Amino acid sequence: MNQKTDSFPEGSDFYSALKKRYRVASIWQILFLSALFVAMISLTALLYNVMDGAFGYIAYEYKNDPSEFTFTPVNELSKEELLTILQNNLSAGAYKKLDAEQAMPTRSQADLMNLFLERLLQIDTKQTWSMTESILQGNEIRQEAKTNYPEARIEFRSWLTPQFLVSSLSSRAEFAGVRTAVLGSLWLVGIAIAFALPIGTGAAIYLQEYAPKNWFTAIIQTNLNNLAGVPSIVYGMLGLAVFVRLLEPFTSGGIFGLTDANGRTVLSAGLTMGILVLPLIIINAQEAIKAVPDSLRQASFGVGATRWQTVWYHVLPNALPGILTGSILALSRALGETAPLIVVGASTFISVDPDGPFSKFTALPIQIYQWTTRAQSEFHAVAASGIIVLLVLLLTLNASAILLRNRFQRKL
Amino acid sequence: MTRKTFENEIQQVKDDVLLLGSLVEHAIIGSVEALKKRDLKAAEKIIAEDVAINKKRFEIENQLMILIATQQPMAHDLRLLASTMEIISELERMGDYAKGIANINIRMGEDTLLKPLIDIPRMAQKGADMLHRALTAFVNEDVELANSIPAEDDEVDALYNQIYRELMVFIIEDPKNIERANWLLWVSHNLERVADRVTNICERTIFIATGEMREIKDSDDEFWHAQKK
Amino acid sequence: MENNNNHYSIETKDLSIHYGRFTAVRNVNLKVEKQKITAIIGPSGCGKSTLLRAFNRMNDFVSGSSVTGEIFLHGRNLYSKHVDPVEVRRKIGMVFQKPNPFPKSIYENIAWGARINGFKGKVDELVENSLRSAALWDEVKDKLQESAYALSGGQQQRLCIARAIAVQPEIILMDEPASALDPISTLRVEELLQELKKNYTILIVTHNMQQAARASDFTAMMMIDDQRAGGVIEFDDTKKIFTRPTDKRTEDYVTGRFG
Repeated sequence: MNQKTDSFPEGSDFYSALKKRYRVASIWQILFLSALFVAMISLTALLYNVMDGAFGYIAYEYKNDPSEFTFTPVNELSKEELLTILQNNLSAGAYKKLDAEQAMPTRSQADLMNLFLERLLQIDTKQTWSMTESILQGNEIRQEAKTNYPEARIEFRSWLTPQFLVSSLSSRAEFAGVRTAVLGSLWLVGIAIAFALPIGTGAAIYLQEYAPKNWFTAIIQTNLNNLAGVPSIVYGMLGLAVFVRLLEPFTSGGIFGLTDANGRTVLSAGLTMGILVLPLIIINAQEAIKAVPDSLRQASFGVGATRWQTVWYHVLPNALPGILTGSILALSRALGETAPLIVVGASTFISVDPDGPFSKFTALPIQIYQWTTRAQSEFHAVAASGIIVLLVLLLTLNASAILLRNRFQRKL
Repeated sequence: MTRKTFENEIQQVKDDVLLLGSLVEHAIIGSVEALKKRDLKAAEKIIAEDVAINKKRFEIENQLMILIATQQPMAHDLRLLASTMEIISELERMGDYAKGIANINIRMGEDTLLKPLIDIPRMAQKGADMLHRALTAFVNEDVELANSIPAEDDEVDALYNQIYRELMVFIIEDPKNIERANWLLWVSHNLERVADRVTNICERTIFIATGEMREIKDSDDEFWHAQKK
Repeated sequence: MENNNNHYSIETKDLSIHYGRFTAVRNVNLKVEKQKITAIIGPSGCGKSTLLRAFNRMNDFVSGSSVTGEIFLHGRNLYSKHVDPVEVRRKIGMVFQKPNPFPKSIYENIAWGARINGFKGKVDELVENSLRSAALWDEVKDKLQESAYALSGGQQQRLCIARAIAVQPEIILMDEPASALDPISTLRVEELLQELKKNYTILIVTHNMQQAARASDFTAMMMIDDQRAGGVIEFDDTKKIFTRPTDKRTEDYVTGRFG
């Protein structure tokens, strides 16, 4: 009698082996799932950690009591009231100086409020708490603040404000912003890509389309692959030696008639970054060019096109999306690198925006690093906000590069 | 060998052709034997058996069509299949000649033979023998053998001439013999045609083996040529 | 056309093709007749495509490849130092195994080749004439600006043929032009060949023996020798090759008994 009616007569050996095979398969599946889980946890932890620092309770005191200036509660002051208060209470010289930087009536309410807090009330942060603490132990924090700083006001503060984005650096965490650093980073990335993309693409075209396949090109190829893995600090040293020192007349703008700068400019840093991402761009462009089907080249040659016409009209347009993908990676790398910038000599404290390739500059990662080294806890909150800005900037640049790439892809 | 299935099918066709050939041989000998003995029952049996010959021919033809359609024969294979188509049609016609002899036998009814049959059975024997060897040459694609057979047609033609003259003498002697002489003349003519068609089979066999398409021997012309003299 | 007393279009003399030290094709002597279709058949790896590509110097792109012997077109050796391969490829067009239109519009696919070769006439006319010659005009005349990739495989291959015609070659090489197409498209391409041979000399490599038998006037049978070099073992009228070939190996190949 065959008691197993729902199976083929394969014999029990087959079925027991089959069971074992399924068991092994499901073990592997679970392993893969847990790997994904670990990765997700890590990413979530990263994001949480950043957010945790950027928001939270803050206890602060005013050196001068608001009632000395106005009877309206500080939070409800209008632009006009603030303007009047500042006009009446700042020294004439100080007001003039501020007015010269930017005409006072044209400033925003938030800006005026900052000036009021900074110059007149002279806000003094006593203690900050993380977001988690603030949410879970709000009452305890209030109690603690009351006892430790009887004078202090306590409120929930977001360190990431529009004001944070548009303000330049400040020695006081409450008024510090990332504008200078963001602009510096954009200049840096812009110069790096402008330098590395054409050169990298050109080199890749030569290697893929023209260079003979021999031991010499093989050595170059191996070196390129290795260069992509060289620690970034090494590129920093190179940048220091070549761009900052050797080419100082050029990178400082000296030969263009600028006299007040040295070689530690955004141009030097941008070129250093360009060299840093060059292998990355070349390798990616090579891959993109390799991916262009040979049939297309043959079709082009078949109608009597020259090598150059084939490359220009067919290979390059078809490789462009891939090349742009490479530049996205390069861009992210350039935006996040810190070490070479320190070596090349990014300024750690600078409040003047970069306005050209020969400007002194700072960059977001440098700024964040600098804030995190400060002892005061409020600066750590500022650093966390800076990181959020860096991440958003990275995402925005990547997104626009991807959009650009997709546009090229659709055309084909 | 990459075409084992096809090879097997070709072999099957060749076997069937041999079978058809042996049916035809049997019919030719049998029809003359029946005439010799004036055995009308045997003659009727020959006529009935011709249906089997025709059936076998259509069967092989159908098989050939299928092979041509499905196997896309080229070169030698194509020559073989196309020529086999021709050969089975020749065989079927030979079967018809045997049937014709059997018909004459029946139509003679109560008439006795004009003379005892001696040369006519010899013609039949010779024709059947040639056919047998021609088919052997076909199956083995033996060019030498195929080339040698048509020459033997001369013997058949000579017998035919001899019978013709003999019958003419009977007619001249007594015009009442005309009808009975005519029966036998038809019979011998049928047998002469059998040998001619054997020649066609040999020509096809040579074409299959060599790709050369040529007439080995125009037997009809020779006969009429001989008459003129 | 210009030289009526010579009815050969292109001739090879002791043509051998080497990859490094390996000889892929040895001592080919072919006389290709003008305005006829010549098929090259043979088992895989016998060097059919290599031989075909030698005619328009496509092998130049394979590193390590070299050619000995000569190929004559109008009495000029295509492999002489004074002949520019770009010029050769304009005179001898090519259609490839897989349809490979440019990722551009149908119009551009045809106009581009003419334009880069310095075509001075009316491009619109050229596009129309080329598409008509390739029996594609009626199907695409209303969508010339659409992507060539929107066409079916068979249409793409005919577009590639139109593209080859547009640069006004004398000879068109076809490397298994129908192997990626369905049977109907294949037959359509074969019909097209019969039209094209009125104006062009066509050389076609095919592994489809029926196609060679149906579509070609002459057939060259290739086979590798004991040193794995391919060579033409029989070259004759197509009718003869497929009904009564001379060489036993050709017989074995066309009857499917090779290997």
